[in-house]
Amino acid sequence: MKSPVRLERRLEQPKWLNWAIPLISLLAALAVGAIVLLLTGKNPLDVYHRIFERGFLSTRALTGTLRTATPFAFTGLCAAAAFRLGVINIGGEGQLYMGAIGASYAGLVMGDSYPVGIVIIAMVFAGMIFGGMYAGFVGLLRAQFNTNEIITSLMMNYIAGIILNYLIFNSLSYWRDPRSAGFPSGKPLEKRAFWPSYEIAGVGISFGLILATFVAVAVWVLYKRSRFGFEIGIIADSPRAARYIGIRTKTTIVLVTALSGALAGIGGASQVGDFTHNLDAKGLQLNNFGYTGIVVAALARLNPLGAIVVAILLGGLTNAGYSLQGPDFPSGLVGTLQGLILFTAVAGEILMKYRVKRNTAAKKAMVAS
Amino acid sequence: MTKKWLPAIAVLALGASLVACGSDSSSDDAAPADDTMVTEDTMAPSDDTTAPEATGAGWESNFTPWTADAAPVNCGPKEGEPLKAAWVYVGPINDGGWTQAHNEGRLSVQETFGDKIVTTYKENVPEGDQTAQVIDDLIADGNTVIFGTSFGFQDAFAAAAEKNPDICFEFATGFKSAPNLSQFYGSAEDTDYLTGMAAGFASKTGKLGILAAFPIPEVIRGVNAWTMGARAANPDAEVKLVWTNNWFDPALERKTAEALIAGGADVIGVKSQDSPASGDAAKAAGVPWAGYDSDQSENYPEVWLTATTYHWDVYLTPRIQAVFDGTWVAGNYYGDLEDTFIRLAPYGKLVTEEARAAIEAKKAEFIKAPGSMFTGPLNDNTGKEVIPAGKQATYGELMAQNFLVEGVVGEIPAS
Repeated sequence: MKSPVRLERRLEQPKWLNWAIPLISLLAALAVGAIVLLLTGKNPLDVYHRIFERGFLSTRALTGTLRTATPFAFTGLCAAAAFRLGVINIGGEGQLYMGAIGASYAGLVMGDSYPVGIVIIAMVFAGMIFGGMYAGFVGLLRAQFNTNEIITSLMMNYIAGIILNYLIFNSLSYWRDPRSAGFPSGKPLEKRAFWPSYEIAGVGISFGLILATFVAVAVWVLYKRSRFGFEIGIIADSPRAARYIGIRTKTTIVLVTALSGALAGIGGASQVGDFTHNLDAKGLQLNNFGYTGIVVAALARLNPLGAIVVAILLGGLTNAGYSLQGPDFPSGLVGTLQGLILFTAVAGEILMKYRVKRNTAAKKAMVAS
Repeated sequence: MTKKWLPAIAVLALGASLVACGSDSSSDDAAPADDTMVTEDTMAPSDDTTAPEATGAGWESNFTPWTADAAPVNCGPKEGEPLKAAWVYVGPINDGGWTQAHNEGRLSVQETFGDKIVTTYKENVPEGDQTAQVIDDLIADGNTVIFGTSFGFQDAFAAAAEKNPDICFEFATGFKSAPNLSQFYGSAEDTDYLTGMAAGFASKTGKLGILAAFPIPEVIRGVNAWTMGARAANPDAEVKLVWTNNWFDPALERKTAEALIAGGADVIGVKSQDSPASGDAAKAAGVPWAGYDSDQSENYPEVWLTATTYHWDVYLTPRIQAVFDGTWVAGNYYGDLEDTFIRLAPYGKLVTEEARAAIEAKKAEFIKAPGSMFTGPLNDNTGKEVIPAGKQATYGELMAQNFLVEGVVGEIPAS
């Protein structure tokens, strides 16, 4: 079997690839999507116009996009931070739940007595600590016993979901609103514990997204400009080499996994502080923020700053998706379209590292030698 | 070394405490109910031979405005334009249950009003912040009547109602009120009871199983009524109850039903599960199955008994008409067998003639007196009297029902 083309590893990656490949991927996605739309009797130009209009082209659309993007940004940072070390933490979902649990606890306890600023800071830190420790456990298992963190972090997502259900549906916990005796829901925060939102040129921006941006910069600096980040790079490339030169590999794995979980934890805190203002056990579990974060990180090529940009794009795409669907546009078609765009974007990544070559006898001989 | 282990130990401690916490939540099994209580005489045959047939009329008598002299909300269309109405669904429109029934209601409205109305829907909308955004989006699209059909949307709907006083909001199965936010649902306990009777008659061992969504009054009432129906047919019947903590999760529903069957249940029932997936488990095991909120008699003919079904158009059509007439006021609607909002799905072949006669007789009683199964003396499954003799639970008490009747093997967590 001979394929007419083959992939050849690029020896160097020209700068222009950085923008050309995402652009070509996007165009390819739109082209494939157009075929699907034409087959189902839709006008692709109308549909694409509506996606951009409802995702980005008005202040109201942008406000919504940034709201939806806020949790994606945190879970994207979570995935990117761990993946960079080669720790495949797919537990952002559960770590976000834990962050929401911690932050709503802090918000409920402190909401009516402490100054507003202190309450918000406490919520952020509670989210970080809960998310971070929950993830740290995964990191510890990986560092100490070499367990597969993909499995443990995934399983812990389900445990976190059960904990959420327990706190709201199956117990009279501190988090549950006692007035909702028959209809379990989270105890609402005092208004003072609501996170602020800002308006810039008519576009509402949540405190959470601003925080995410600062956090992204901090993570970027940590990874690119600090000794710790340098060590992370070495461990990711070769754990044995890292150990040989005296880097404390195990500690680093635990710390980075905990950091990753802390980032998702702030995402959970932001859900409580920015949006739902209580522990919304069902809502948190229905949105799949954590899993979306993995897509965000992949599309951002694990770049923390890129994660913010990708989160906003995905936020727009998500909102536009809800906007598109209706009697003449089934949600399955929306999902297909979104899936195509994401798949093509990720698939385009391969062209960063490899280039497509035509298979000829001469080249084959060269490769074989 | 110690320094290195410090964070590790802290993490381990938290992890351990969390794991312990998680395992608590799985302790759903209750102490078995004691059998000392006398079963009430729910099987008294109706002496009224000309049992009243449901008329489909009189939905108004089941609708109560929040305030007596409320001014109508003007959410009608502009002159010469169609009315735009939207439905927000938590599941997919082809879920074979809850959302599908709501969507059939929407289609019926579209058909009834034709060119005068443009209806749309959003499906698979997650609860949480996204709900609010979807509502905003629908309003921006010009929709002036918006229906919500999942309990978890309620906060978003209440907030949207406050923000948009000129939009009419209609919410199924909630309890919050506002001048422009109505609540609509119905007395499913009546048909749940009748479904339970069919299940009780079909059971040979007297051990039945039911899976139910969340321990909230709406669902608890249904489980209780179902159990009382089963015990009306078979006074020794016991109903093993498992909470799924999910409205719609076909895989989980099927698995739960399989577990119930493996545990000895010879009839399976469901309450507030939006997919018919438990029917697959029943079919595979050859166990009679009582469904919920959709007529699956054709898809599961081998195991089908019957089910509660909702006919949302009974309420939707006059409400949309009220919008056109400029008379729409917010209030609470609780439909029943009489106005045909609640109906019993066609019987399956496993429901015997004897069972059918008994069920029809009881149905005639419920048409006249919805919710009358919750009349004392009634004990819960710990033997405590919850409704004293001669008293019937009020509407408010039904809406807050927080006990499981005798015969239910299970418990309400957090009570």
